[in-house]
Amino acid sequence: MADETFLSDDLLRQLMSVGEVDLLVGILSHRSANTMRRAAHYVEKSLQQNFVRQRVAIINVDGGAVEDSNSDERSDDGEEGNNSYSKGLNSLRTIHRVTAGFNGAPSPGLALRTILSSSDLLRAKACAVVSPATSSTSPEWVANLLRPAFRDSFDFVAPLYSRHKFQGLLARNLLYPMTRALFGRRIRELYSDEWAFSSRLGTFCLNEDMWHEEPVRSRPEAWMGISALTSDFRCCQVYLGEKPPPPDGAGPDLVEVLRQTVGSLFWLLETNQQAWMERKGSEAVPTFGPEHAVTAEPMELNRARMFELFQTGVKELEPILESILSAETLAGLQSIAGLVQNTFRFGSELWVAMLYEFAASYHHSVINRDHLVQALVPLYRGKIYSFIAEYADASAADMEAESENLCLEFEQQKPYLTEKWKAGVEVKS
Amino acid sequence: MALQEDNLWYKDAIIYQLHVRTFCDSNGDGIGDFVGLTQRLDYLQELGTNTLWLLPFYPSPLRDDGYDIADYTTVHPSYGTLDDFKAFLTAAHNRSLRVIIEMVMNHTSDQHPWFQEARSSRDNPKRDWYVWSDTDTKYQAVRIIFIDTELSNWTWDPVSKSYYWHRFFNHQPDLNFDNPEVFEAMWEIMKFWLDMGVDGFRLDAVPYLVEREGTSCENLPETHAVIKEVRKRLDQFYPGRMLLAEANQWPADVRAYFGDGDEFHTAFHFPLMPRMFMAVKLEDRKPIIEILDQTPAIPANCQWCIFLRNHDELTLEMVTDIERDYMYDEYATDKTMRINLGIRRRLAPMMENDRRRIELLNGLLMSMPGTPIVYYGDEIGMGDNIYLGDRNGVRTPMQWNGGTNAGFSFADPERLYSPLISNSVYGYQVVNVDSQRRFSHSLLSWMKALIKTRNSYRVFSRGTMEFLRPSNHRVLAYIRELGNEKILVVNNLASSAQAVELDVQRYKGYIPIEMFGRNLFPRFGDLPYLLTLGPYQFYWFRLRRI
Repeated sequence: MADETFLSDDLLRQLMSVGEVDLLVGILSHRSANTMRRAAHYVEKSLQQNFVRQRVAIINVDGGAVEDSNSDERSDDGEEGNNSYSKGLNSLRTIHRVTAGFNGAPSPGLALRTILSSSDLLRAKACAVVSPATSSTSPEWVANLLRPAFRDSFDFVAPLYSRHKFQGLLARNLLYPMTRALFGRRIRELYSDEWAFSSRLGTFCLNEDMWHEEPVRSRPEAWMGISALTSDFRCCQVYLGEKPPPPDGAGPDLVEVLRQTVGSLFWLLETNQQAWMERKGSEAVPTFGPEHAVTAEPMELNRARMFELFQTGVKELEPILESILSAETLAGLQSIAGLVQNTFRFGSELWVAMLYEFAASYHHSVINRDHLVQALVPLYRGKIYSFIAEYADASAADMEAESENLCLEFEQQKPYLTEKWKAGVEVKS
Repeated sequence: MALQEDNLWYKDAIIYQLHVRTFCDSNGDGIGDFVGLTQRLDYLQELGTNTLWLLPFYPSPLRDDGYDIADYTTVHPSYGTLDDFKAFLTAAHNRSLRVIIEMVMNHTSDQHPWFQEARSSRDNPKRDWYVWSDTDTKYQAVRIIFIDTELSNWTWDPVSKSYYWHRFFNHQPDLNFDNPEVFEAMWEIMKFWLDMGVDGFRLDAVPYLVEREGTSCENLPETHAVIKEVRKRLDQFYPGRMLLAEANQWPADVRAYFGDGDEFHTAFHFPLMPRMFMAVKLEDRKPIIEILDQTPAIPANCQWCIFLRNHDELTLEMVTDIERDYMYDEYATDKTMRINLGIRRRLAPMMENDRRRIELLNGLLMSMPGTPIVYYGDEIGMGDNIYLGDRNGVRTPMQWNGGTNAGFSFADPERLYSPLISNSVYGYQVVNVDSQRRFSHSLLSWMKALIKTRNSYRVFSRGTMEFLRPSNHRVLAYIRELGNEKILVVNNLASSAQAVELDVQRYKGYIPIEMFGRNLFPRFGDLPYLLTLGPYQFYWFRLRRI
């Protein structure tokens, strides 16, 4: 059941007017009226064209764009005299719009909790979440996300994007292979701005007493995805299309990104310990559309600074790394840090062992957990430097093959993580 | 009681539509007739309707339910005589019931003497009363209306060895309104009935009167000119009589048939009807508001006619493909229920005999702007028989009582023009006038109360309408206003209880009085007015400042 006291009276009044719906789409509108308007337009268009009979509602969750949201509402209502009968495709029903405002900036977790609560109260059968920050969102995206949850009884629908081979590197080198190896399902984009879920999963998550946890507040989608995986909900992936990177400076810096993603992943390992330890290998999940699309056009990247930061990090963080890593792994890192740029390679075996040791140390709280995740930042830069150097001229197929090898490496070394995890604070050897 | 003198009477009318054949058989031949109808006029007066619309009763081969007329100036022998009609008309007028009859101007039956003469030779004086051609290539841009049965709008006449033009069935040749004699002949026919005292005509198939090469031959200026001339003569010689247009078109296209108040007095609002059904099934007011928002204003002396069901299929021509699919899926799951582009079902079965929904739809019908039309039998919740051919399933005998032949006829049941509805849900033993007269809670009694309330306030028939648009889209609310008379109508389109907050600040200080129970509700204040409604419930509030 939704925690009704959590929702404002104004939101409740709006939900009361909406009543029961089949589909709910939440827009996490980062206080930008323009981007929100654009996203709302695509969502509405998608619902009009693809779900003409269904009862649908759009909920815009943000404190900052409320005024624009409401002003947009009436003009597109379909009740206001536009000649919809000449348009052909048009929703038979009113498309409801709800705005949830907050005092102060809402966290993604708070926003998702608002959406889940609304979905629960409205008894939505399926719900999608989209972000106005994604510039390539289209009506098809929304429909593609909703369909598996609404029509095919999937509980969690993760997106698949077409990306350049040097975009989404964190997902490719860390998040995907590690979650795949540990949780046993091949879902590429658990950390995403767009996803969908069933009422079953929504209600399940809503009832979890986790909303005060920082990883849930900052990256609730990953927590939701992992919850689906570990509780045996039906999961799938759906191909959406090209996802261009956000404009320079638009997103958080790397430290914050790793804190939110890797920090969240380590925390999820802890809270789902039993589930991941019992799983062996990995299975594909049903995928709609192409498996994965990588483009490999030449791209200019300034990598010199990355290598420098890696070398400096290994050197300056040695006391911290000593408390996190095994001697063997630290030695391996120090060894490659001593290489010159053109011979530098950060191998998969070392990379995976290092990450597993970080995860185990996070579990054992060998140092402050936030500091631990920050210590990973220069090492990640080194890995990315190496990756770009290795695959500068690689084809998309080669990239995919190598990604698969990395995933297998994570799976092969999983017992090592289990061992470390259970071993207590004996990381130093 | 004499009819009141009011040239705008059609605005206040509540029309009851019936076919003489279906209503009451006085002579035991199994077919309803004018004598039988006359005997039942007290019932219609008791119901509260004040205008009768009779479907075609002229001599006809009956290949198109009487719309194929073979003689315009008498009565089909099955229904009685002209004297029977006159007696009926007098009896109706004596009960303050006006009578509207059908007039098919566009075409005749091919059995009509005019056509028989016209085809007899190319030199016949009546030859030019119809549209002939040596080829079938003229007017190629014109659509075929009955696509299921007709391959062309031209049919070869082997007698005169040429093609004749017809927009409907091939046995219904179109008259040629370019020939002034045709117009004068039609006017003479209309005069014949007007002199007898009929109060108006429903003009069938009006968009198709005139043909012009290179056009769709629909809604042409020349067609409007014909209508204007009819109206001019009507106003000049028969003031207070009315013309009702049958033009199954979008409101913006029908609007032209009102002219500047100098063509039709009234016209059917075809697109509204399916949207009322759709709104109830969708539990969303959107379809109704959309179509009414798109309905243009009409001259002050004109009026829309609105209806739920009639003798034809529930037409789905004026909906989008998506809407049509939805209507079929929701209201005609059995394909037998479908015919042409529509659904051949009555109101009660479409509502699954749910009294609340039947009441809600009738409440909408009686409270929205326009002259409402009640189809015979719907006031008692009659069922249909989808296994009869064509639209005959909604044209079964009126169910007067639970006795022999439902009190419709004393003929042997096998002789009835149509089998009775006799199933356990809608059969005449269960659903009939006599049984419903006995109880104040019956649908018939409720309909009488509804109609009486509607008739008591002219604001329903002549007032403006303004939607309130509360945030709850399952609630359709509007204000009807005429001078100081103000009525708030609130309809819950949903199958579940609803709460709604109405912005009635403009009416601050008014006291809403529920019109059926006459109970006072709390006065309107500064805050949104909160109402709760049960499933499919509706309120009519008279707003009074006391």
